[in-house]
Amino acid sequence: MTPALELRGLNKSFHLKTKGGLFPRYTELKAVRDVNLVLPTNSIIGLVGESGSGKSTTGMLAMRLLEPTSGHIFVDGTDITKLDHVALKPFRRKMQVVFQDSYSALDPMMTLQQIVAEPLHIHNIGISSDQKTEALNMLERVGLDRRYGGRYSHELSGGQRQRVAIARALILKPSVLVADEPTSALDVSVKAQIINLLLDLQKERGLSILFISHDLSVVRALTDEVAVMCDGRIVERAATETIFTTPRHPYTRALLDAIPVLNPRNRRTRTFLTREQINKATPRLRSTELAEKCEPKVEPQLVPISPNHHVEAIVT
Amino acid sequence: MRLVDIQNLTVNFPQHEGTVQAVRGVSFHLDSGESLGIVGESGSGKSVTCMALLRLLREPPGRITADRMALAGENMLTVDRRKLATMRGRVAAMVFQDPMTAFDPVFTIGHQIIETIQAHRSVSNAEAKAEAASLLAKVEIKNPSAMLESYPHQLSGGMLQRAMIAMALSCRPQILVADEPTTALDVTIQAQILQLIKGLQAELGMGLIMITHDLGVIAETVDRVVVMYGGRVMEVGPVQSIFDNPLHPYTKALLRSIPGQTPGRHRLIEISGGSPSPIHPPAGCPFHPRCEYADAKCKETPPFMAVAENRHAACWRLQ
Amino acid sequence: MIRYIAARLLSIMLTFLVVSVIIFLMMHAVPGGPFDGNDMPVSDAVKAKLNASLGLDKPLYVQYFKYMWGVLQFDFGVPFQSPGETVLELLARAWPPSLILGGLGVLIGAPLGILLGMAAALRRNTWIDYLASAVATIGLTIPVYVTSMMLILVFAVWLGWLPASGWGKPNSWILPIIAYATIPLATYARYTRSAMLDVLNKPFVTVLRAKGLPERKIIFQHVLRNAALPMATVFLPMFIGTATGSIFVEAMFRVPGLGAYFVSSIELRDYSLEMALILMITMMFCVSYLLSDIAYALLNPRIRVGGGEQ
Repeated sequence: MTPALELRGLNKSFHLKTKGGLFPRYTELKAVRDVNLVLPTNSIIGLVGESGSGKSTTGMLAMRLLEPTSGHIFVDGTDITKLDHVALKPFRRKMQVVFQDSYSALDPMMTLQQIVAEPLHIHNIGISSDQKTEALNMLERVGLDRRYGGRYSHELSGGQRQRVAIARALILKPSVLVADEPTSALDVSVKAQIINLLLDLQKERGLSILFISHDLSVVRALTDEVAVMCDGRIVERAATETIFTTPRHPYTRALLDAIPVLNPRNRRTRTFLTREQINKATPRLRSTELAEKCEPKVEPQLVPISPNHHVEAIVT
Repeated sequence: MRLVDIQNLTVNFPQHEGTVQAVRGVSFHLDSGESLGIVGESGSGKSVTCMALLRLLREPPGRITADRMALAGENMLTVDRRKLATMRGRVAAMVFQDPMTAFDPVFTIGHQIIETIQAHRSVSNAEAKAEAASLLAKVEIKNPSAMLESYPHQLSGGMLQRAMIAMALSCRPQILVADEPTTALDVTIQAQILQLIKGLQAELGMGLIMITHDLGVIAETVDRVVVMYGGRVMEVGPVQSIFDNPLHPYTKALLRSIPGQTPGRHRLIEISGGSPSPIHPPAGCPFHPRCEYADAKCKETPPFMAVAENRHAACWRLQ
Repeated sequence: MIRYIAARLLSIMLTFLVVSVIIFLMMHAVPGGPFDGNDMPVSDAVKAKLNASLGLDKPLYVQYFKYMWGVLQFDFGVPFQSPGETVLELLARAWPPSLILGGLGVLIGAPLGILLGMAAALRRNTWIDYLASAVATIGLTIPVYVTSMMLILVFAVWLGWLPASGWGKPNSWILPIIAYATIPLATYARYTRSAMLDVLNKPFVTVLRAKGLPERKIIFQHVLRNAALPMATVFLPMFIGTATGSIFVEAMFRVPGLGAYFVSSIELRDYSLEMALILMITMMFCVSYLLSDIAYALLNPRIRVGGGEQ
């Protein structure tokens, strides 16, 4: 079956000014390196990593909100990497995004109903009165009473604003939703509400969600599969429970080990590895140990150790 | 010795739209060497309570009233400016949430630690500098002398938070107040900073107040817990018994709603509704509009009841 | 840092050249010449002769290069409106009153404005704050010639304490300087207040208080130093900009300064003087922006030391 979204060999470099003046000097920062990711239809994939890991950049590349330096993006089997503005428009309908900070993402001068109906307006779907009704229905679906249609975003709480952002993203019935830390700014008691809403909507609409987060606990409850990013690379990719129960990459282990344990009885002293120690601990695997044949290489590469579990390793 | 003793603290901020009732009758205490966690969501009043204790709120507009608010025996309600300056940093030091904005950007880290030392003790520049370097070494900074010469913008969040802790420790305070010290940091750095704070607290025998929204942080670091909601204390108790046997429906719901406790993709047990308005809080128990057990009686303020040894909670169901 | 200054100096020279070309062309694009005035009727033959004697019959680019060649040797030509002296001599005679008026006005107005702004920021929402806002608003909205008129009316006409005009004894300086000082006073008060409030609301100020630093040290060492950053970019250019005085104040109090020549040199097509005045102002602004950029860089460790991410 064609995946809803596929990233193939995606790279993104930024050029940072390191010296100003008449003759500025730039250094290349490789934010995303050779990322391969498949988001099957009707599934939620978690993209996990710390700040600077490239997870948000990957999300922006997938949405073509940033142009990749090299690589390809496929949506429903079509390569959209080089499509121009006009050709891209039908695909924009299929891919929507929700950000962490919905406060700045919602126009303060528009009513909630206008905000939610705006994508319909942009894509010329239906007549104005239908757009209006549909927007109110959508608001109701995400748990906001129809009365909220006439209100403004500043009258809402963080959780309610995130509901509006989700309503706006889903009104076009997209097949792919990129959710970049949508619950990170929310209070604990509201976080669960938004996670449940995403789970319900995913099931109901057969959505495929790329869920970008640093919060591993949320990722565990929400996703089918997890890709762990570190320094712009995917270092491990597997079914969610595999990641949580049998992580193979030292960085994944370090991340999991850092999660606070919710039982004071199980307090312990942790030992922390530095980045260098983690890099040194990159697994070394013989090519015979792999699920598929791979060329031995000096540099680490992402290899399958079982059909559904990829890990970055040095193949000898 | 009782380091902190707060009884019936109220903090109000009169505003155009009405008075924000940030803290509404909070009481708790902290003994020396003890670690206390204050857990609550945004708007619960947990940070304002501690800012009020050190009189760090702007007054006016802020208005503080209490039956008692004592820090190491000193009445903080009537303390004068000079005494206050000697208490802050020396008796109680604070670590804040966002290390990137907690340092003055135009001075070096060294300058800012040294000025803290010299604000409280008369030591020479050279002595203060040597002490600053040893403090940085204590918070596991690899190259303390280089860090002394660094400006805040040259350092990462994790490094700055270590420096912040070093600065807080520079006058050997009796209490360390940490206000969401790990919230702005990466997951792996969070665990390192928590372990560092915990270790230093034990080693130096300080009292610790850990303010956080994260029950995981509470489970990892403190002896005793105060659960706050809507400006009030919902429940107080030793950390283990709070996690084993939460008394207040809010604490129960909060513990159940934490994601990732069971394997597999699953819906979470959510708390319906949103946080109470700080200007027009609900009558009685602030949690009752969201509480599954609420009845008519909950519109009256429940008393803070002793339920068991060291266990207190404010809920009519426990009567 | 040295590289940075060198680069800036180069760009100043370029600006200077570009401005000189533009001004020269614009001056000559305005119809008419120095001898077209009605009150000085001259025959065409005489006019042609006069123009030739001043080199005004030559092509524009020749005139431009001739003038600029002179400028390089500090020869700014002869003002047509007072041919008895050179432009430099005229400047030496008319600039000092303007310099004294502008300079003293700023020297008095700026510190007062800064103090007022600081007091307003530190005592937010008290009478000092409201007074500062009132002063700033009045100073910025009421034109300076109205202020001048009121000063003359009160202190010269009604009370008779000070002379209404002229630039003789120092007591005649007082009113124009006060009138002029209201401008920097109001502007500096506003900027200082907002710059201070910006810093006072930063989290690090709470941290400084929580460390037990005395309030005096927090304000004078940390807050002021940080507020100086945005202030440096605004204040220095303003400060030097005022050294040319104010046309309005000079006119109201009949101060024999440069102000009048700005108008008359344009009116009378006094090319040499006009060029000299505009080049002088350009140069002063360029230098003052350079100084303020250097001050900013020196105050800001992000630029001075560099490093860090992004």
